[in-house]
Amino acid sequence: MANDSNNIIEVRDLIVKYGERTVIDNVSFDVKRGETFVILGGSGCGKSTLLRNLAGLMRPHSGAIFINGQDFTAMNDNERIDIRRRLGMCFQGSALFNSMTVADNVALALREHTKLNESTIEIMTKIKLELVGLGGFGDFMPAEISGGMKKRAGLARAMAMDPEIIFYDEPSAGLDPIVAAGLDALIRKMQSTFNLTSVVVTHELASVNLIADRVCMLKDGRIVEMGTIDGLRASQEPFVKQFFERRPDEEGDTREEYVRSLTDN
Amino acid sequence: MTALLGYTGRVGLNLLYAVLRVCVLIVDTLGWVLVAPLRGKGLRVRSTVEHFVEFGVNSVPIVGLISFLIGAIMAMQSSYQLAKFGAMRYIAALVAVSGLRELAPLMTAILITGRSGSAITAEIGTMKVAEEIDALEVMGLNPTKFLVAPKFVAMLLAVPCVTVLSMAVMILGGFFLSTVVIGMDPDLYFEVTAQSIVGKDLVTGLVKSVFFAVTICWVGVYRGFQVEGGAEGVGKQTTSSVVTSIFCIILVDLVFTALFYFV
Repeated sequence: MANDSNNIIEVRDLIVKYGERTVIDNVSFDVKRGETFVILGGSGCGKSTLLRNLAGLMRPHSGAIFINGQDFTAMNDNERIDIRRRLGMCFQGSALFNSMTVADNVALALREHTKLNESTIEIMTKIKLELVGLGGFGDFMPAEISGGMKKRAGLARAMAMDPEIIFYDEPSAGLDPIVAAGLDALIRKMQSTFNLTSVVVTHELASVNLIADRVCMLKDGRIVEMGTIDGLRASQEPFVKQFFERRPDEEGDTREEYVRSLTDN
Repeated sequence: MTALLGYTGRVGLNLLYAVLRVCVLIVDTLGWVLVAPLRGKGLRVRSTVEHFVEFGVNSVPIVGLISFLIGAIMAMQSSYQLAKFGAMRYIAALVAVSGLRELAPLMTAILITGRSGSAITAEIGTMKVAEEIDALEVMGLNPTKFLVAPKFVAMLLAVPCVTVLSMAVMILGGFFLSTVVIGMDPDLYFEVTAQSIVGKDLVTGLVKSVFFAVTICWVGVYRGFQVEGGAEGVGKQTTSSVVTSIFCIILVDLVFTALFYFV
């Protein structure tokens, strides 16, 4: 096995299936320490599934995922817990625990996994909330804050245990451009301040431009292109070109052909 | 014919799969409730107490009211028959014995299913839909320890407690109707009640209530984890949780009634 110490995540020949349907088809890639790696693709291409595998929420059909050189997929649940403490994840819908205040959400992992006393935990929680610009919102319930703030709080929670890697699932989905840009800037800031490795799943080209060091483009569970954002922009691969030019799928040129395509079945 | 066989097979396999899943859940829960505290991984006490208040204390008014009414109804129904034999004093015996052995545990279990079994399913289901369960796992927190174990312990304590209360109130309901409406002598009522009930009646009722508690909790949790899709899935599984739970409670009731009848 190739274990380059510059690579914090190494994915090898990953295959994921839902029943008989193959969702991720033989995917391999590396994520370097400290970079922001973006997984880009259209709806339903398997990018969220790929992220769930990386975060250990699903077990793949075959293939391996190495995190810090350790095979994450071959571990039992207890061994996984140790690795998971070094991972953070921001969910698409923020997934804050609705029955707890924002501060309790952030403090939860610290209370459960560490033996720190309560006042230390309170201070650490406050720092994390300040970090994402939510100082003073600790006592609010998740239902009382806006969507963008929830995502920030989700990031603060993911940061609670000072992880090495953070996974973001569609960070800008459902946010207006200004709030989304703010979140992109925050992702960038986290990465540069703490030398975090970020893996971001998205379909938003605007945020890819802002945050990505390297991008891999998925289509139907396969990687069609991988490289820097400029490399992708210059790519001659038809799907990549179509995606970057925001062209819809061909539906027939003339009105007659279009009507025929609807009725021919 | 083939279709019928195929259908039976699928239903059978699904049932087997469900039983298997519940068994895994049972082993997992018992592990967290019984084994983990010995290894110093404590139970979440605060959450357990909160759930106890929700399942037990908060259900007292409604369980009390219903039990009182059921006691009164039983007294009326039995007086209708017993009057023919001039055996009115046995109203007290009938209310007490059927209340303790059967109706108090059953009514309590069914009411707590409706109040809290559905709430358990809805809570876990909503958390699953909102990816909160995934969030727990990513944080290295076991959902069984975090969500199921406190509910299980709370339910196991709450149902028998409320059942005892329901037993007492049911007898009170019978007492109220017999003395105020039928005009029976209050002292006689208590005397007959005391004569007719034995320790085994109370034990039967309590043993049943413990197993009802287990049923309510596990059906609720299992249905909660089964939720797929969005809000619609939560609604579907919540309904199904209550129906399955009541069905299982009646089955458990049958088994234990038979057991205490023959043993």
